[in-house]
Amino acid sequence: MAVNILIVDDSGVMRSMIKKSMQMSGLQIGEIYQAANGREGMDALDQHWIDLVITDINMPVMTGEEMIGQMHERPDLKTIPTIVVSTEGSQTRIERLKTKGLKFIHKPFSPEKIRDTVKDVLGSEVFNEPNA
Amino acid sequence: MNITVLVGDMKTGRTGDILVTHALGSCLGLMVFDPMAKVGGLLHAMLPLSSINPEKARGNPAMFVDTGVPLLFKSVYEMGGAKERLIVKAAGCGNPMGKNEIFKIGERNYTVLKKLLWKNNILLKAESVGGTASRTIHFEVDTGGVLLSCNGTKGPL
Repeated sequence: MAVNILIVDDSGVMRSMIKKSMQMSGLQIGEIYQAANGREGMDALDQHWIDLVITDINMPVMTGEEMIGQMHERPDLKTIPTIVVSTEGSQTRIERLKTKGLKFIHKPFSPEKIRDTVKDVLGSEVFNEPNA
Repeated sequence: MNITVLVGDMKTGRTGDILVTHALGSCLGLMVFDPMAKVGGLLHAMLPLSSINPEKARGNPAMFVDTGVPLLFKSVYEMGGAKERLIVKAAGCGNPMGKNEIFKIGERNYTVLKKLLWKNNILLKAESVGGTASRTIHFEVDTGGVLLSCNGTKGPL
């Protein structure tokens, strides 16, 4: 099974780094879609079949948290595994996200951390050896 | 056969070989293994960048991370290893002097390694880095198994 990924971050450099990390990880990737804020993220979710969302929190127009809130109100989107990658320092906010079943990765991150978290969420079956 | 990798040294092996390196402090220990070709290599590099002594680096590239890592990969490729199959593990890069370590050699060794791997699209499968303890590695080339001895305890990496 190839995994379609949506990367939501207002920094193009950060989106490229996450994209490269995913490509290096051995994950069987279908398409990688990118969005610069939560609004664009919701549009991408409406237009494409997405299996995994990797999102930042603090973004203009619509934050990651608002986007996740909207996703959770939609039966077709609320079960999509979501990983938050952010510089967020507030422990209460992080805990609040975790109670919604989200995984959290602190920036700066290592590409190995992203791989391990995705493996945790999706299982090692969607990874090619030897990285699995 | 047990093959000992000294400080500032790199060795490769095949099925039946065990590559061993002792007392990794701030040095980098890097293992590369191809599970299909059953070949592997172990590097024990001392310092991050060869630019401080290019002449020494020409004589012994394994002394520095920026010249030793390419040497390790090339040597494993020459033995039949293929990049897409390689499993890479790192150990060492600690600070044995604790907070008194002003040069931060271990930290810099790790940074240079991660930069090289990032540029070449390679992720580490496992790592045991940092801290003050010294590490010893036994790398069984047959299985790719790595036994890490650290602080009197032994375990797989």
